[in-house]
Amino acid sequence: MKRKYHRLWIVAMAVGLALAFMAPVQAAETYQLGLSLAITGPTSDAGNPYSKGAEDYIRFVNETKVLGDAKVDCPIRDDMYETAVTKRNFEDFLDQEMVLFLSYATGANQALAQDFNEVKIPVIPASMDKSLVGMSEYIFLPIASYSHQYVGVAEYVAKNHKGGGVPKVAAFIHPSAFGRAPLEDFKAAVAAGLKLDLVEVVEHGKDLDNSALLQRLQSKGVQYVLCQTVQSPVATLLNDAQRLGMTAASFGEAGKITFMGAHYTGGNDLISLAGSAAEGYYWTTAYHVTSEKGPWTDWQLDMAKKYERDDKTANSHNYACGMMAAQVAVEAIRRTREAGQEVTSATLYETLNQMNGDKAFESLAAVGPVTYGPGDHMGVDTVQLYVVKDGAFQSEGEPFKPEFIK
Amino acid sequence: MSTNRWFATGNFYTTYREEQRIFKTHVDRLFFILFLMGLFAWPLFIDASNRNMLVINNILIAVVAVYGLNLVTGFAGLISIGHAAFVGIGAYTLAGTARTIGDSHVLITHCWPLMILVSGVVGAAFGAFVGLPAMRLKHLYLAIATLSFQMIFTWAIQFMTFFNQGQMIAVGRVFWIHGQVGRSDHYRFWYYVILVTAVICGLAVRNLLRTRYGRCLVAVRDNDRAADAMGMHPGLTKVYAFALAGFFAGIAGALHTYMFRGAGFESFTLHHSIIYLAMAIVGGLGTLPGSLLGPVAIQTLELQMEHLSEWAGSFLPASMNLATALRPLGFGLVIVLFLMFEPRGMANWWRICRSYFKLWPFRY
Repeated sequence: MKRKYHRLWIVAMAVGLALAFMAPVQAAETYQLGLSLAITGPTSDAGNPYSKGAEDYIRFVNETKVLGDAKVDCPIRDDMYETAVTKRNFEDFLDQEMVLFLSYATGANQALAQDFNEVKIPVIPASMDKSLVGMSEYIFLPIASYSHQYVGVAEYVAKNHKGGGVPKVAAFIHPSAFGRAPLEDFKAAVAAGLKLDLVEVVEHGKDLDNSALLQRLQSKGVQYVLCQTVQSPVATLLNDAQRLGMTAASFGEAGKITFMGAHYTGGNDLISLAGSAAEGYYWTTAYHVTSEKGPWTDWQLDMAKKYERDDKTANSHNYACGMMAAQVAVEAIRRTREAGQEVTSATLYETLNQMNGDKAFESLAAVGPVTYGPGDHMGVDTVQLYVVKDGAFQSEGEPFKPEFIK
Repeated sequence: MSTNRWFATGNFYTTYREEQRIFKTHVDRLFFILFLMGLFAWPLFIDASNRNMLVINNILIAVVAVYGLNLVTGFAGLISIGHAAFVGIGAYTLAGTARTIGDSHVLITHCWPLMILVSGVVGAAFGAFVGLPAMRLKHLYLAIATLSFQMIFTWAIQFMTFFNQGQMIAVGRVFWIHGQVGRSDHYRFWYYVILVTAVICGLAVRNLLRTRYGRCLVAVRDNDRAADAMGMHPGLTKVYAFALAGFFAGIAGALHTYMFRGAGFESFTLHHSIIYLAMAIVGGLGTLPGSLLGPVAIQTLELQMEHLSEWAGSFLPASMNLATALRPLGFGLVIVLFLMFEPRGMANWWRICRSYFKLWPFRY
């Protein structure tokens, strides 16, 4: 009898020990995210710092216990800008029970939009293409679309142009949907009453010399070139304009050309590439840039230092983009937990859709709060205009909301 | 040949017909049937994740495409650096049809075998057209002509609004006997479709090589003037090789579009053409097993490099981007080393293996 009790005691001890070890595992939940983007290959100059931004923010969240004992696991995969690889990564993340997807390229998001709808998983892309929100109700852009930023630049020209007549502009765009889509919105804005004369649309190639193009534009009386592309072709254009003495010393200088652009055309990488030719370049984005001191930019630089990032990454607005995408995801998880709900794709989707009014999310990374609603999946609605002065981007005026875009 | 085809060893043929047999012995046939049964049966017993099924399907699609490339480059000796564009032609035939008649039109969703075949035929037509310069051009000059086609294709897709300027064109879900193939069955369903297609195409290629048309390809590759003297038409043979390559590529493109539920230009760039070429070379140019082994090897290598890079990222310093660089460097290095030490490709390993068993249990 005594022996029987002894056995029972051993079994009870074993069960107790097992439960003791299991208990903390159950308490410390891990929320699965997934990020697939181009760390190598086309557009990796943006994707690389973006991935580091997201990675560092998630590390920060786990180290400083932003979610208490809960952790966020966000595997980052290089898709080399290939839709097929993005799809594979997406399926892999789903197999790991991902609750929110951090995606990247316009093409890949378009390709996966049907899957997002079927799986009903919220997605925060790096692409700010306006068409994405129309393709899937589960896509949440972190900031205003490329179209908003491009039309925002155009509105600035229309409002601030000095001198007679309607300002003549040329569009310098990427030869893809990424470049063309905002141009269509620009044309719609002109049709809706934006007083600008679009003289020429240039779809750039891989030209290393733009002398002929610039001289042609000047002969047509073009005063403003609005760019919607990536930094390197803009840098080439700016260098050629400087060499030919065509760059306007001040905004709208008569007989010269003022160069302007949206999101991926600017940032510190442009200054590295174009050097002094970047002086006087106007650029819209919704992010704070490190050339301007502020609580966010100080923190961004501290984070970069903490996680041993180089100066280029630390000062890249794409690093801030990555951080902000992760920030929005973590904030949605935090709010869902706070509401006492289980963190799932469905609850995160609801939480994101409620992120407006009093519940708008002030990320500090951007110039305005992140607001989403059932009919509004564009996060930060305002854009900030910057201009290069003394080798650094400096804000020009206050953040504004473009009027001529729906 | 031995009268007992179960235990035949060595090479001993008494008729030309015997030498041309697909399966030299009944054991060969048995193993092939068992292998096929294994390929068809394993998804019924193993619950592979969607991600793994996607990888396997991708490999099988590449196998179909590389059949074509191996025909034109391996068997006919014509370098093609535009094979991804032919795959793209097939993909965009389907996507363009979907854009015109609607992505959920019955032709797209119910008549998908027909659409796959049509995509192959359109691919063949483009292949024949692009192959026309082969009547006058050879070697690197022909390679440049195919490269031009790749460039024109990419530009045309990105420029034409009909093709959504390269952006994704969606294709609806297909129907099978039990109704619409939903997301849960999607990859498994397409695994079987692609597998059946790959087997049919493989058998077609194997049989083609036994016919006079197949032998023409090899003859023109080895010496086109001698082939001409023997009554073959080298020019037409080359065009015909390109048409065949285009056909297989077109089918692969349609399968790609159905499996990925749409077509976007990123999947058919010069980079992909080079990857297809790498698959054919690593597998073994001018061999049928090479078309199977090459895609498996390249895609597996790519995945392993991805894992290696991820693993290295956990301890390499972040500031130097070493982990990121490891993937393309490692991938390139492995291919270079492989080509240095095994230029005949993986098919040669297969050949050595078969040679051993051909004489088994007797040895040299």
